[in-house]
Amino acid sequence: MSLTVDLRLQRGAFHLSANAALPRRGVTILFGASGAGKSTLLRAMAGLAPSRGLIRFGDTLWQDEQHSLPAHQRPVGLMLQKPTLFPHLDVAGNLRFAARRAGADQALWRRVVGRLELGGLLRRSVRELSGGEASRVALGRTLLSDPQLLLLDEPLAALDQARRQALMTVISEIAERIPVLYVTHQLDEVITLGEHLWWLEEGRLRAQGTLADALAGPDSPLAQHQDAAVVLRTREVAFHREHHLLELRIGEQSLRIPATGPRGEAPRLRVAARDVSLSLSAAEDSSVLNILPASVESVRDLGQGQCLVRLLCEQQWLLARVTRYSCERLALAPGVGVFAQIKAAALV
Amino acid sequence: MPSADWLALWVSVKLALISTVVLLALCTPLAWWLARHRRRGQALLEALLALPLVLPPTVLGFYLLLALGPRGPGGALAGLGNAHSLAFTFSGLVIGSVLYSLPFVLQPLKNAFAAIDRDTLDMAASLGASPRDRFINVVLPLARPGYFSAAVLGFAHTLGEFGVVLMIGGSLSGETRVASVALYEHVEAGDYASAGRLAMVLVVLSVALLWAVFRWQRRPGSPL
Repeated sequence: MSLTVDLRLQRGAFHLSANAALPRRGVTILFGASGAGKSTLLRAMAGLAPSRGLIRFGDTLWQDEQHSLPAHQRPVGLMLQKPTLFPHLDVAGNLRFAARRAGADQALWRRVVGRLELGGLLRRSVRELSGGEASRVALGRTLLSDPQLLLLDEPLAALDQARRQALMTVISEIAERIPVLYVTHQLDEVITLGEHLWWLEEGRLRAQGTLADALAGPDSPLAQHQDAAVVLRTREVAFHREHHLLELRIGEQSLRIPATGPRGEAPRLRVAARDVSLSLSAAEDSSVLNILPASVESVRDLGQGQCLVRLLCEQQWLLARVTRYSCERLALAPGVGVFAQIKAAALV
Repeated sequence: MPSADWLALWVSVKLALISTVVLLALCTPLAWWLARHRRRGQALLEALLALPLVLPPTVLGFYLLLALGPRGPGGALAGLGNAHSLAFTFSGLVIGSVLYSLPFVLQPLKNAFAAIDRDTLDMAASLGASPRDRFINVVLPLARPGYFSAAVLGFAHTLGEFGVVLMIGGSLSGETRVASVALYEHVEAGDYASAGRLAMVLVVLSVALLWAVFRWQRRPGSPL
């Protein structure tokens, strides 16, 4: 079900306003500097921070100017920044607290405990859990409340890299069924999980749109980031066993990448701006496998002798970070046709 | 020890038990409200509720005597039940004890409620727990140490009460003569042997009570 919000909230000098629609499914990243009001917006949507305005979820009105559905009646799965487990209950007790009230069945219990590997923790006191374990329990508890909408506030911040990967997979599976609004500062989580992006700045929802626009759009704050990257939507066409290479297609162009990582039906390819170099002709004698024709959309000076070049290639954005010297030498300007050499690429 | 003294001891214990139960019931909503809300005038209310901490018990007892007597509201209340005064009755003692021991029960409960993290309650709400459900299944278990301290302090403080009882209780055997008053009367009559026996019983009883409390606190898995 889709969610539309048109909210206003005043807390002291801080003013929050958000008018947006959350897509029916998929992960929407809620992005913004700290203090921008991300957590407050999640709380308001969950019914925990009094706000004025409208929230409609599918056919149900959660809130209008006269009425507001109390938090315990909204089918929201909320995860706060800290795990906030009940200290008087053990891990199993915490999970049961959610499962009982949602009427969750044995099957859901087994699935959640299995996927999040909580079986060994069930008898433990929550005081004995490490930060990462507590986050997993908190996520499990949220999922056992059988939510129709997930609001997650930096849920993976306390986890190590391996677990983060595993849990990102779990979250993206859930997002195939229900909408997920996801707060994070981690660019890899943005790129791996995100399909849409809400961008909050000083309490105002500035932009909402697809991740591709957010990553490489002309005014995107993410494009200024050290690790600026885009995600290319590709089709898998072949697997070359002898070279262990995967052949992907973007529009009419083909790309070959090392066949590591997961293989999905529509692979998302993460291409970092620093891994893209530009030339005016297609080099035939390069070790770089992937050379795509593209046209320059804009060139932005990043300072310190660096430029960020935004390219359009088969109707998808591509970013390249090159030196200003190269920019001037190649006379890069909007409309110029170039060849983008993608040195390394990773499937996400 | 004469049976009259055992009876006085029993009245003391009964008074302490009943007052503690009444106080816990009364202070739960009051402490919750004080801990969770900030209202204008709250400081004045809290000052009034803490008054028994600093007021000489006889002052409290004097006002209670007026209030509970035939011409006070207590007398009117008693009139409903075919009596003309609440002073010098066991019910009157319970009212006096409740007022006298109120801060000792209210304060630990208020602190226990205030210590409960707002996020914990918000989380419970978003997991589908109604306000009532949250209070019973989150607030009460988390405030258990506070309830424990409140009950022990309320009970012990009522057991040791003297000044208020002297003013409003009189010394009717089996009704309002509590152990501390009986002890005082023995001393006044020069009967130091009886006074010594009663005092010793009170000391043993108090030590036993506190010993049980501290033992319970040290239990593994105890919330304290």
